[in-house]
Amino acid sequence: MRLTFFLFFFFFFFTSKNSEAIQFESLETKNGIKFWLIEDKTLPLVSLSFSFKGGSILDPINQDGVTNLMTSLLDEGTQNFNASEYRLFKRENGIKISFSTSKERIEGTFQVVKPRLQEGFYLLNESINKAKFPIKEIKKVKSQIEASIKIDNSDISTIASNKFNNFFFKNQLIGRNKKGNLKTLANISRDDILSIYKNSFIKDSLVIGISGDIDANLAKKYVDYVFGDLPSKKFKNPISTLKELNRGKEIIEMKTPQTTVIFGQKGLGRKDKQYFAARVINYVLGGGGFQSRLYKEIREANGLVYSIYSYLMPYEYAGVIIGGFQTRNQNVGKTIEKVKTEWNRIKNEGITKIELQNAKTYYKGSFSRNFTSTLSIASLLMIVQYYDLGEDYFNKRDLIIDNLKLNELNDLAKNLFDSENLFFMIVGEPKI
Amino acid sequence: MRFVLLIILSLYYSVSFSDEKDTLHSFKLKNGMEVVVIENKRAPVIAQMIWYNFGSGIEKTGKSGLAHFMEHLMFKGTRKFPDNYYSNFISKIGGSENAFTSYDYTAYYQVFPKSELKMMMKMEADRMTNLTLTKENVEIEKRVILEERFQRIESDPSSKLDESMRSILFPNHYYGRPIIGWRHEIEGLSYEDVLSFYKENYKPNNAILVLSGDVDLEKAKKLSKKYFGKIRKGKQESKLEVTDPDLNTNIFVKMQHPTVKQPIWKKFYRTISYKSDIDNSIALDMGFKIVASGTSSLLYQNLVEDKKIFSVVGGYFQGLTKGEGNVYLYAISKEKKDSNEIDKIIMDEFKKIINEKLTSERFEIEKKKYFFDTIYKKDGVLNPAQIYGEALTVGLAFDDINKWQERLNNISLDDVKKALEKLYENKNYVIGELSN
Repeated sequence: MRLTFFLFFFFFFFTSKNSEAIQFESLETKNGIKFWLIEDKTLPLVSLSFSFKGGSILDPINQDGVTNLMTSLLDEGTQNFNASEYRLFKRENGIKISFSTSKERIEGTFQVVKPRLQEGFYLLNESINKAKFPIKEIKKVKSQIEASIKIDNSDISTIASNKFNNFFFKNQLIGRNKKGNLKTLANISRDDILSIYKNSFIKDSLVIGISGDIDANLAKKYVDYVFGDLPSKKFKNPISTLKELNRGKEIIEMKTPQTTVIFGQKGLGRKDKQYFAARVINYVLGGGGFQSRLYKEIREANGLVYSIYSYLMPYEYAGVIIGGFQTRNQNVGKTIEKVKTEWNRIKNEGITKIELQNAKTYYKGSFSRNFTSTLSIASLLMIVQYYDLGEDYFNKRDLIIDNLKLNELNDLAKNLFDSENLFFMIVGEPKI
Repeated sequence: MRFVLLIILSLYYSVSFSDEKDTLHSFKLKNGMEVVVIENKRAPVIAQMIWYNFGSGIEKTGKSGLAHFMEHLMFKGTRKFPDNYYSNFISKIGGSENAFTSYDYTAYYQVFPKSELKMMMKMEADRMTNLTLTKENVEIEKRVILEERFQRIESDPSSKLDESMRSILFPNHYYGRPIIGWRHEIEGLSYEDVLSFYKENYKPNNAILVLSGDVDLEKAKKLSKKYFGKIRKGKQESKLEVTDPDLNTNIFVKMQHPTVKQPIWKKFYRTISYKSDIDNSIALDMGFKIVASGTSSLLYQNLVEDKKIFSVVGGYFQGLTKGEGNVYLYAISKEKKDSNEIDKIIMDEFKKIINEKLTSERFEIEKKKYFFDTIYKKDGVLNPAQIYGEALTVGLAFDDINKWQERLNNISLDDVKKALEKLYENKNYVIGELSN
């Protein structure tokens, strides 16, 4: 496997030519829930993707991990099913439900085969509105999360990434581990979980995308059934600005033949007007797989690493740029220097005309891959609403890309990328 | 290194496309290359996969890692499309690509807008024979692969344990040798090794091309003939018919490492495979899913939910193999327990499940789940290509795959119990313990 993580991290995107033809319906239910739908009868199944703003950033102090614990318990006992009944019902009826917590949102995906539509939505409703959080299951899930934290703490790349978050964000709430830690997890009571449950699933912060074999009327009915009675409350995003971020480096010594390095600096929020431009610059620098400058210089020309990457981590109103690699202990210093050199090159020389052209055709061409499965379609519809990109996004996306000008991009590169602002988290036995 | 991916896929593995006669085609070129076309016009996108029917299994003794090394080098360019041209082209059109090597096969794939099919086929065919490699390419890539080995295995005690368990479970067969290769043997691989491996094995009669997505049969026929059809066939891949002896001792492998914070127990079995015994493998797969797959399994119900001995327990059957298949079991105990004790708890429960707890109701639920899963598997372009490519490459027939559902329907609870009983009696296993 050349680069495993590509399989998992590469989303599926759509082509320009066809994006003009994308017909989705923007709908509203009786209870005032808005959602987008693409009806597609290719297969007898329905996929739904939804998200609530909030996420682990809202975990109260000393309750790190409570939101993640809550979402892990949504299928562990509800009003009409105990944990094992729930899972058997799911299995028997071809239903897939999953919840996940990230820094600033709670996400869910739901899929069901057409003949079991009713059973599917019935079960989803149980989780969203009728979760019971039995003490017995809380204990069990806590012990599972504890085991998973211990496994993370045995794995050098996860250690590096967690430590990076602690040091880089300088103890801001956003630097906390969404799973929490062994101490905070032990602190969390059933009441704490219930309170997060009540405050997380709020109508006003909900967005939904649906795709598959379901028409508008039926979709509206089921959306209301599951989400229609949720409470209404204004939501305020806590990550509106990031305070000062760390620079320089930290080293944690660990006995291992290969050192892991995670690095980062300030980036842009998804709602920043220059976000797409920054994305294109990063594509050239370290985001473009086998084509990026970091890959070509550090892996292909020098054989120093197996994988090296950088990506934009956009929150709604603020963001960071993060990168990473692993290399043999003796090569750590050399590789870091090469990363800095590429960072400076982007800043001082920008990207070339050809690089811009290739990036533009990449972003236009790759969009169509989003439309190969119902789940990827539903997720795309959800995320476009989440970031408020607008109902005309699919039509204007090509234009946004076409309008990117080399000099403006390179001005942005000059202002945004700065090797002086990079922070390197180094875990291993590095020779620097 | 395919291991991780296999685990994920096999959890949901079952194939059935029996109702797809109009959208599923297969034909053979004169040089012996097989082509499979799976039509799906939802999005204007095509997935092209080429599956070579050899993996690390054909490496000569002392040359472990060669097949995977070659996979990396296949991206280094040809005379017509030099250096980075291939990946650069795919990137420019907004495509994605990757490759993977297993014990039994090596595969390359790309997903791209349908308008680019011709060029994609042309380039894939071109690198089957016209690769231009330099000594420098090979030396630099060797460093990359050593970093890969360090990243995936040497820095990860759990992977080191798996590697060593497999080498004991398969003392004779190539399944005991790591796909990525032993470190000291990778270090010894030369430019000449690579070149002769490429020339001998990269031949159309060793390959299956799978096209999935918005493609039609006539075009696929025309283009595959034009680009792949002109490549001369090579000698047929010689089949290695080595099997392993029964293991007559109880084998426990222990990996102790100071960085390990969570002890884990594992057990690997050698079992039947779909190729050696398709019906019983389907029965085993179904049965073992009821016993050990996910949080609705009976082992989980009894040992995690009810008795609260473990925080996690589970496992799966992986039978898409040319040689013997595997069953994997794992558990995390809440309190410190030795490996023997964990094994006894699980095996006693396993016995009880076979004798008492595996009811016909539970069996029917699993059958339904299997059926619904086949619908999900068609949702996408790469997944169906993966299913056909892998199954055909390990030696199943086209019909085996298409009649999967039919076979499944004929399996009874009794068949499932027998398959599980056999696993229970199976002594060809190794137990591993990861601890600090």
